[in-house]
Amino acid sequence: MLLHLLNRSAASSHVYRDALRAMAEDDCLLLTEDGVYSALMPLAEHFSAVYGRLFALREDLASRGLEGRCAEQIVIVDMEGFVQLTEDADRVVSWF
Amino acid sequence: MRYALLVQGAPYSHQAAHSALRFAEALIARSHRLETVFFYHDGVYNAQRLATPPQDEPQLVDAWCRLHHEHGTALLVCVAAALRRGVVDERESRRHGKQGHSLESPFELTGVGQLVEAAMTHDRLITFSP
Repeated sequence: MLLHLLNRSAASSHVYRDALRAMAEDDCLLLTEDGVYSALMPLAEHFSAVYGRLFALREDLASRGLEGRCAEQIVIVDMEGFVQLTEDADRVVSWF
Repeated sequence: MRYALLVQGAPYSHQAAHSALRFAEALIARSHRLETVFFYHDGVYNAQRLATPPQDEPQLVDAWCRLHHEHGTALLVCVAAALRRGVVDERESRRHGKQGHSLESPFELTGVGQLVEAAMTHDRLITFSP
């Protein structure tokens, strides 16, 4: 299983399409930095194929005033959760 | 687990360096070892010894050095990316006939081969890029 990191908003970059295309069935995707803007509807709909294995980093949400506004399909993790995701994955791929 | 981080963003201009540092602290808190941080592209600016940010802002250079002193983390800086950007240690400065230097221990100039080696010898390599 791979963990994919995405730090770009779907509103400003199309790199998320490459990330989704590259993801295998059991891969996970963590939204970080400006990537967390995609945790809100309607942008989150672009990620419907990976609901259930889609995560967003709490501190990046908080620093953008977005906490509590996430789509319910998204799992919010803190920094410790981020580390845990990298433990569980065989490798980590960053998209930027 | 043994971790390596690749930092490609300059401090104070993108979030990458700050994110990497936050992640570094979190992985150490979970009893992993952060053995290597490799600074590449604009990430080499993290090694500027003369960086003097305002005192009430995050002190990124100091924080990297602290990782080295407290946890033995190697702070590797790509020599090709660094020289281009005027990030030079004393030896390279002398070799190129420059005055002064902007990089010193615990940061060390290395080749990009060290990054390949880090990818092969560590359990995890995580990239933080702008």
